[in-house]
Amino acid sequence: MATESPGNEFGRVSRLRGQLFESVTFAASITGILALAALLIYVTIDAFDLEAASPEWLLVYFVTLVLPYIGFCLYETDRAIQRRTALILAGGLVITAVVFTAVEAFVRPIPGLTWQLVYLFLFVVPVAGYVTVAGSNTPTGAVGFGLLGRIAGGAALGLWLFIIFVVFDLQMYFLVYTVGVFPTALVWYAVRRWNVAARLAGSRVDRDAAELLTTRVLVGAVGVVGTAGAVVLRGSLPVYPTDLIMLAWSLVAPVTAVTTVLTARRYDRRRGVLVGAAVLLVALGGGFGLSVGALSQNGAVLLLLGVSVPTATYLNRVWRADEGRAGLALPLLIVAGALAGAVLVQTFGIQSPDPWLDLSYIRGTPTTQTTQARSAGLFPAIVGSVLLITLTALISFVLGVGTAVFLEEYTRDSGVIGAISRLIQVNIANLAAVPSVVYGLLGLAVFVNFAGFGVGTAISASLTLSLLILPITVISAQEAIRSIPDELRDGSLAMGATRWQTTKNVVLPEAMPGILTGIILALGRAIGETAPLIMIGMATIAFSPPSGLFSQLSAMPMLIYSWANNPSPEFRFGVVAAGVLTLLSVLLAMNATAIIIRNKYERDA
Amino acid sequence: MSSENETPDLTRDTGLSQLVEGTTTGVFALCALVTLVTTVAIFVTLLRPAVDFFASISVATFLTGTEWSPNPSGGSLAFGIVPLLIGTLTVTITAAFISLPIGTLTAVYLSEYASARVRAILKPMLEILAGVPTVIYGYFAFVYVTPALQATLFPNLGTFNALSASLMIGIMTIPMVSSISEDAMNAVPDRLRNASYGLGATKYEVSTSVVIPASISGIVSSYILAISRAIGETMIVVVAMGSQANMPQVRDAILGIPYIHPADVLLQDGATITVAMVNIAVSDLTGGTLPYKAMFALGLALFVITLVLNVISDIIAKRYREVY
Repeated sequence: MATESPGNEFGRVSRLRGQLFESVTFAASITGILALAALLIYVTIDAFDLEAASPEWLLVYFVTLVLPYIGFCLYETDRAIQRRTALILAGGLVITAVVFTAVEAFVRPIPGLTWQLVYLFLFVVPVAGYVTVAGSNTPTGAVGFGLLGRIAGGAALGLWLFIIFVVFDLQMYFLVYTVGVFPTALVWYAVRRWNVAARLAGSRVDRDAAELLTTRVLVGAVGVVGTAGAVVLRGSLPVYPTDLIMLAWSLVAPVTAVTTVLTARRYDRRRGVLVGAAVLLVALGGGFGLSVGALSQNGAVLLLLGVSVPTATYLNRVWRADEGRAGLALPLLIVAGALAGAVLVQTFGIQSPDPWLDLSYIRGTPTTQTTQARSAGLFPAIVGSVLLITLTALISFVLGVGTAVFLEEYTRDSGVIGAISRLIQVNIANLAAVPSVVYGLLGLAVFVNFAGFGVGTAISASLTLSLLILPITVISAQEAIRSIPDELRDGSLAMGATRWQTTKNVVLPEAMPGILTGIILALGRAIGETAPLIMIGMATIAFSPPSGLFSQLSAMPMLIYSWANNPSPEFRFGVVAAGVLTLLSVLLAMNATAIIIRNKYERDA
Repeated sequence: MSSENETPDLTRDTGLSQLVEGTTTGVFALCALVTLVTTVAIFVTLLRPAVDFFASISVATFLTGTEWSPNPSGGSLAFGIVPLLIGTLTVTITAAFISLPIGTLTAVYLSEYASARVRAILKPMLEILAGVPTVIYGYFAFVYVTPALQATLFPNLGTFNALSASLMIGIMTIPMVSSISEDAMNAVPDRLRNASYGLGATKYEVSTSVVIPASISGIVSSYILAISRAIGETMIVVVAMGSQANMPQVRDAILGIPYIHPADVLLQDGATITVAMVNIAVSDLTGGTLPYKAMFALGLALFVITLVLNVISDIIAKRYREVY
């Protein structure tokens, strides 16, 4: 401190001790992170076979892909940031080359690494992250990342739909839509459009009853009868249109219609038609065009439908807002860079790595034979994991939100109900600490053996996982609901709303972003869980994707578990590393979604 | 609206809305009940096969037996939990050597030294450590950590070993210690710190002799939670530690006190309680057999241990918390 005299021995010692302690605490806090980062670097290198990448290959993609990206991010940033970035990139290059070469020469060779790879992971990746953050604060960068995010999110949504249709019957959906959903929507529209309730109300029936009769009973009846009819028809109808026509009618058409109407309502009719036409053209045209490529026809339609809706609406919005339009070039920049890199690698015959994690891995079927390691794939396990997470999300959303609403909105602090709610609260805290393997035993005893849902089926597994994450979902939903100010509730109650109406119209909509964030984070926990799945007898390897709720399936972590102890290096360092990276990417995407929802909500609030 | 209505019905308390109100309350209560039912179901489903199991294998044999072989190829069945307990204890203690000091120091750094910006970056990154699926940690331990240790520190480390699994469990449980401990340290009021500074204490002295003692109940309860998590951890040990439940050699020390050399357990393959459960589940899920029931007995032991630890942690956090 300033008051200490400079010659004071004690002062110097204690200052040194303090600095030492601070460095020790700092080192401790980054130890775990650094250890994990090192492991992630190794697994990435293995999954993409980067060890085999020649320096020229790395250089080509560094120039065509990484540098343009960094340039884009820095386009509108401060001079200071640009200078710092250039300095770190250039200095890092020199430092890594010198230090690495020195270590290799004088200490010992480092297995599985070259100085170019060290530079890539120690400098390029962090710098890319840094400029991404810096760039997203500029208008152009924000637009670029906004577009990229919508494309990625739309693609994820489209792929999710595709996977759901792998599991469930497209023909069933087609019938349900045609005889159930579509007529229901028509009737609902007609009732609204011609105000049937008001006409009825004039004579003998009072208004509330007329409202109830038309909007609830009539519409509901059409829906129920239609759906039941679809189920009956599914058993007896022998002929169906082609998949593409069914998708076009029952999915592309309604999505296009809704997009058109919503855009028209927000802007004007011309823009609505424009956006709608773009969606329709991309989705269907892509279905015909891309079907020869990597994806099946259904897959292409669903993927492009998912991509086109958010992209078209976003393009429309950015074009009107007239700021940062240049950012729209970011996806083009990336695609062009990748293509240019590929062309250069081809023409100069540069030795390129043969990544384990590629499209054929995602689409392939698993294997345990060493000779077939190159053709091993993850597809059935990906479908299994997606199905599990979807079911788990539905179940835990209902249970978690229901429990949280009960504990926060429907209980009193005193009396019997208060005691029960305190008991439930303590119980939830304790359930959170129960090891996951014990939940597996619970699932085995209750869902598999007692309820007879079958060994290792989708329904047993997702029920088990739902119970496993229930404490987390309840606690996070409770926090979200608790953060709603009482003024909103009181306002609603003072207007004469009942408790349910207040919950439904005020509390839940306000709390929904927080609830969703918590549930997605909890699902991230569920997607990696393995022990409970083993306990309920899930197959380690399934060669075909599941075909329904009661069919056996496998999941990504199960496959990693069964492959991990495979003695052959192809599996140990190739196939499993690719699986680990796939699982981590899915996890990362889920967490990013949760964070985006939270940030958006925090900004709006 | 009909204008001839003289007294406006402000409550709109119709039969329908009461019905809806009652139904929704019931549905929410039912959801909340599921959590209670889950606890009861865990108890019942674990207890029934476990009671069956202890009818054929006495509790004393179970607790003192030194051999665990539920699926013998030719030999005889043996259900002694001691080797599993040794495995679990070794893993837990070794993991605690990693996670407790690192977690505590991290908490000190985050609550006393870090700037708001550093904290905003570090805390989510630490949470990632707990969010990585455990089967992936197991794979890391088996494929990267074990060979690295073999090449550097322990040349005679087994392919499957307890050490690398414990290291990974330690890393995984760091954020559990650090976040709860940091909460406890943040709860220490600033006037304690300021009073100490006023007496001429340095920041180091304030951290070590004021903040840590004042938040010791929170720190200890975070330790217990992390240990309970390490005990229940399954996939890391299943993948990296092997499956053979070995009874380590009991040596005699100079004074004739028997002891087990840690290296005998750490550097070799072994099994924990959770590993034994998974092994039975993988090989024998037909139900009704003795190994099947043994699996539930192990589950009961695990459940009781973690529950007791959790309750103790709760009591410590509540009872010994300094109230300011």
